[in-house]
Amino acid sequence: MSPPFHTLAAGLKQCVVEIRLGGAAGSGFAWDRDMVVTNAHVVRAGRVEVRRADGQVLAGKVVVADPARDLTVLEVPGLGLPPVERRDAGTMRPGETLFAIGHPLGVRHALSSGVLHAVGPLPEGYPVPPALRRRVWVQADLRLAPGNSGGPLADSEGRVVGINTMIVAGLALAVPIAQVDVLLRRRAA
Amino acid sequence: MSTTLSAFSDQLADAVERAAGSVVSVHARRGLPSSGVHWRDGLVVTTDATVRRDQDIEVTLPHGGRIPAELAGRDPGTDLAVLRIGAGRAAAAQLGDPAGLRAGHLVLALGRIGDTGPRAAFGTVSSTGGKWRSWKGGELDLLIQSDLTIYPGLGGGPLISPDARILGINSGGLSRPLATTIPVRTVERVLDQIVAKGYVARGWLGAAMQPVRFSAAMRTRPGIGHEGGLVILSVEPEGPAALAGLMVGDVITALDGHPTLHPDQVLELLAGDVVGRTLTVELVRGGRGEKVELLVGERPRGAR
Repeated sequence: MSPPFHTLAAGLKQCVVEIRLGGAAGSGFAWDRDMVVTNAHVVRAGRVEVRRADGQVLAGKVVVADPARDLTVLEVPGLGLPPVERRDAGTMRPGETLFAIGHPLGVRHALSSGVLHAVGPLPEGYPVPPALRRRVWVQADLRLAPGNSGGPLADSEGRVVGINTMIVAGLALAVPIAQVDVLLRRRAA
Repeated sequence: MSTTLSAFSDQLADAVERAAGSVVSVHARRGLPSSGVHWRDGLVVTTDATVRRDQDIEVTLPHGGRIPAELAGRDPGTDLAVLRIGAGRAAAAQLGDPAGLRAGHLVLALGRIGDTGPRAAFGTVSSTGGKWRSWKGGELDLLIQSDLTIYPGLGGGPLISPDARILGINSGGLSRPLATTIPVRTVERVLDQIVAKGYVARGWLGAAMQPVRFSAAMRTRPGIGHEGGLVILSVEPEGPAALAGLMVGDVITALDGHPTLHPDQVLELLAGDVVGRTLTVELVRGGRGEKVELLVGERPRGAR
């Protein structure tokens, strides 16, 4: 039996960091030993500050950035956080519960919850530029705000299925977590 | 509560999967399609506002395949439209009873856009109530408002309970900021009329009227008790008003117990399910209050 929601949320919160660059802030989460995943649009420089949930601030530098996927992987020496558990969003069903943790409008480690709307490209006629529409998204009926970008979208067992990236017509759009593997494999190759 | 989030999550996803068997995509406007419900075999219900053309309408079925559909009729007052498709193409809707809904009940909105899977939104009932009249003049049997987000393309799709019962059709246009659902009973009533006649009958009196105010002296006379009413300017020969004995110069002060100070109040009443009903008309004739019975007719097509 999986633990109650507040326990899941507290567990994931430990893996979520704040990414700071000048005055702007976004979200990110622990991927692997000393590695943090976030959005490319959150990190507009080679070096950033990474703030853990316990308040400690560390230095991070970009390992790989992919603006087309809107993903960046940072190396953060001394991060010392457990990596998130993951789940392929393609196995999800619409209606499944989801939750996000991030720093919307600077509110640190805020939780929001909702359900899976759909997975896939946005339908033709949706109010977004065509290049964004055709990408595969985890589409969530869940409230996000600026500052959530780069943070995790997790399923009912706390497994991360996507990286919260943008809001279109009120709909939360997240990059599927599998895209991080694709990015890292491509870099290794 | 011992239910874990993951058990709850499974229940919601199961409900979406089950109800989605009767949720279709409706192609009746440019750009983004809307959603609809295969309500009865061969009959799809959606919102009137999302059906922007009367011909070249198509429906994408729950299990794929896009087929032509014919507009059976529409009722702008309740924001409903009915389409005909061939028989046996999808499961018929499993209907629930929204009468028991209270603020706080959990609900889902479903939709389908083109040949993709079902799309879901989740929320709670915010407010409920009895009969009400939409700003478009239609009568709705229950008020159901929720905090659901009706995302683009979800209009015309169903509101469902966590046990997969369809409670009504979500309308993007009837109210803001909360989402409004057209309840099952209203859909059934409108559907029955559209299937029988191709339209929803509106009541007709067969009299032209204009508002008047009574003088202070008139108001105090016995049997009047109204500030004013609607003076009859003309009576349609053989129309319901003529058959009830109403005459030019009569002032109608109340209809079916509702004061009539403005013609809109009469039109509102006639927009409801009143055709064939006998209503009591209170009127002032020759300075005296009277009451007559009037059998409401059906407004001739094309008449005002």
